[in-house]
Amino acid sequence: MTLPAITINPELDLVLERKLDVPVELVWRAWTTPEHLRNWFAPKPWAISALDLDLRPGGAINFTMRSPEGQEFANTQCYLEVKPLERLVMTDTLLGGYRPSPNPFFTAILDLASDGNGTHYRAVAIHGNDASRKQHEEMGFHEGWGTVVSQMVEYIKAGRLQP
Amino acid sequence: MTPQIGASAQQAPHPVVVDQVFRALSDPTRRHVLERLTARPASVSELAAPYAMALPSFVEHLKVLETSGLVRSHKTGRVRTYELATDQLKLAEDWLGRQRNLWERRLDQFDAYVMTLKEEESK
Repeated sequence: MTLPAITINPELDLVLERKLDVPVELVWRAWTTPEHLRNWFAPKPWAISALDLDLRPGGAINFTMRSPEGQEFANTQCYLEVKPLERLVMTDTLLGGYRPSPNPFFTAILDLASDGNGTHYRAVAIHGNDASRKQHEEMGFHEGWGTVVSQMVEYIKAGRLQP
Repeated sequence: MTPQIGASAQQAPHPVVVDQVFRALSDPTRRHVLERLTARPASVSELAAPYAMALPSFVEHLKVLETSGLVRSHKTGRVRTYELATDQLKLAEDWLGRQRNLWERRLDQFDAYVMTLKEEESK
């Protein structure tokens, strides 16, 4: 399987693409099950202290990130597309129930494809203007998303996702 | 006796402090935060609001700004609020000002010297 074609605008978008040596079923489960997602979704030493997912288009993703000093940051996003084993689209430009956000910033498109025993993984962050894209990049998009993907693979390989 | 040099050395801040200020200013995200703080003090959550997924990196930027002394923060309950510390920004401004004076003086002297050469040539 190959990833769906997607139009990337380098002025507005950031892309993280990886070949992962874990099966796509487990990557999907790691991304869509709250008790698993909370284990790897924050780059250590940060942590997820609260998380609930309403996995359907229009459903809310609420999560709280906790800094090493114990400070908490609440986040809300909204699922736009949920296509098992293939695609997950979520955005912080909307809250749950498609309600427009007062602080729109970006939409994330996660594409997965089975690649032998591994997974072709692509995360794209799309923004509304080049200033937002630049800010996101300078704030550490590649570092942050890269770290959590590595943490996810580690978590899967530790066998903690097996039923 | 070189009283002038002595006096300017007294005014000049410690080089490490200058390094920290310019290092803090060398990053566009950190400059953006400073620009936002010129309007009014803001909490970490307010400053970080748009950047959900890269939040840890953002908080590191705030730490660099605070170490350099360009901002200071205080905590009330669970909310940490940041504000500009203008003294340190003035320090950067003063450093640039001193360099500009130096160069302006050099250029003036150069100018004058070239003019003298020109006059001599036309004689």
